[in-house]
Amino acid sequence: MINVKGLTKRFGRFTAIDNISFDIAEGEIVGLLGPNGAGKTTTMRIVSTFLPATGGEVTVDGLDVFSNSVEVRRRIGYLPEQVPLYNEMRVQEYLAYRGRLKGLTGRALRGRIQEMLEACGLIEVRRAVCGTLSKGYRQRIGLADSLIHQPRVLILDEPTIGLDPNQIRQIRNLIKGLAPRHTVLLSSHILSEVEMTCRRVLILNRGRIVASDTAGNLVGLMKARPRARIQVRGPELPVCEALAAAPGVSRVTREGAAAGEWITFNCECEKDADPRVHLFKIVSSNRWDLRELTMERRNLEDVFVEMTADGEN
Amino acid sequence: MRRFCVIWRRELAACFLSPIAYVIMVVFLGATGFTFFLGAVRNVGAADPLPSLLIGAIVIWLGMLIPVITMRLFAEEKRYGTIETLMTAPVTENEVVLGKYAGALTFLTIVTLPAVGSLFILERFSPGLSLDDIDMGALCGGLIILVLLSAFFTALGLLISLLTRNQIVSAVCCFVAVWLGLLLGWLLSALPGGAGRLSEYVSATTHIEDFCRGIISAPTLVLYASGTWLLLFSSVRILESRQLR
Repeated sequence: MINVKGLTKRFGRFTAIDNISFDIAEGEIVGLLGPNGAGKTTTMRIVSTFLPATGGEVTVDGLDVFSNSVEVRRRIGYLPEQVPLYNEMRVQEYLAYRGRLKGLTGRALRGRIQEMLEACGLIEVRRAVCGTLSKGYRQRIGLADSLIHQPRVLILDEPTIGLDPNQIRQIRNLIKGLAPRHTVLLSSHILSEVEMTCRRVLILNRGRIVASDTAGNLVGLMKARPRARIQVRGPELPVCEALAAAPGVSRVTREGAAAGEWITFNCECEKDADPRVHLFKIVSSNRWDLRELTMERRNLEDVFVEMTADGEN
Repeated sequence: MRRFCVIWRRELAACFLSPIAYVIMVVFLGATGFTFFLGAVRNVGAADPLPSLLIGAIVIWLGMLIPVITMRLFAEEKRYGTIETLMTAPVTENEVVLGKYAGALTFLTIVTLPAVGSLFILERFSPGLSLDDIDMGALCGGLIILVLLSAFFTALGLLISLLTRNQIVSAVCCFVAVWLGLLLGWLLSALPGGAGRLSEYVSATTHIEDFCRGIISAPTLVLYASGTWLLLFSSVRILESRQLR
């Protein structure tokens, strides 16, 4: 449904997106992850025809976003990050205006407005002036706007930012429910959310795709290389060296600043290793004190940190 | 065409949804009325016909009004980011530019048209004046040049608004551009030789004077129409490029 081939975008000398390619099949929900400035919003703006690309090719439903821009726009619903609204308009008026702009009229328009007000929980504020509403409501108005013409492709830039946990769940279910009929590309900072809603994750860093797989596979990749967390009272350097020497442990790092005499170490383990027994024996034979020893469950956050850490340093 | 109407309607509604519209209307009517009456009182018995005094008064304040109306057209959309949702809806750049232009021009007409009433108010309350004394041909000519100037300078304001995201910058630049447009030809007509004559020929003040005498010339009509078209065409191209954001 969405095909991106060799996409590059430069702003002056700054390269925001560097030769990225990906395909999104019909009915797929794909999450775009990445630290700030990774190029997520730029990618979405190009796919949604707002910005022209410097190089490469982007097609939506087989139509080129540059040469067939208006046709592409008929097929997409786009929710920008800042959710721009006309602040002087009322919610219902705004949705009616947007619906008309997207080609809806008469009874169909009224029906869709009503459906969207209900689906996005906007019934009680339908007569409120947009400018007076909170971030959460604005977000939902934006979402209602992007869905009103039943687009086949949805591009959502941080759709749940500013919502409370109940609303997040509501919107998440709404997005999940779109899956069979709609193709969704969404970006988010909330990793657990991407893990829950998206079938596939693209991790973007410094304008390049560093990982593209299902969330489960990415987490599995990390699970194969587990990490033990151990809290010890003892001299830092000798403890560190002794732990590193344990079988199955590949690397030991101290976590955070030392809080009192207890020091926490993270032991990166080799593939499928469980060095907990060895670690306990080392600590007890050296007569150091042990307060905590756990194997950590790796989640998408760890994948994210690992994949994007290089760019930070 | 339908989307053009949707944008037109929204632009017009946006003007009337903010209190600024009503303030502008009151101030504009008061200012033009006052300028006109002042001119009429000072010119009692003079050869200057009333319609040309009225059109002059309107043009002076039009130079203030147009920047205020056009400054928000695109600058506001850019500032609040609504340009992003607007330009990702299935509308063409032509529809957006023309819709906004039509909205601004309609509002401008609604604000300026009642100012013509000053003429009839003056007639009603001046004992020695009757409607027959007012040269209707001159008034019609004056209204035509008013339409031409409005169309041209609104297009100019729209183009300037497209180049910035700051409404104040847009208004100030437009203000300077409108007054240069109105007065530059007249200033340069003092030049000797061909340059002076050419300046006088394309000068807005010459056109206003001519039209207010009832002389409606086709070249002037073509000049303003083509100028307006050129400005709107450039606006569409700039919006299409989106590189100047």
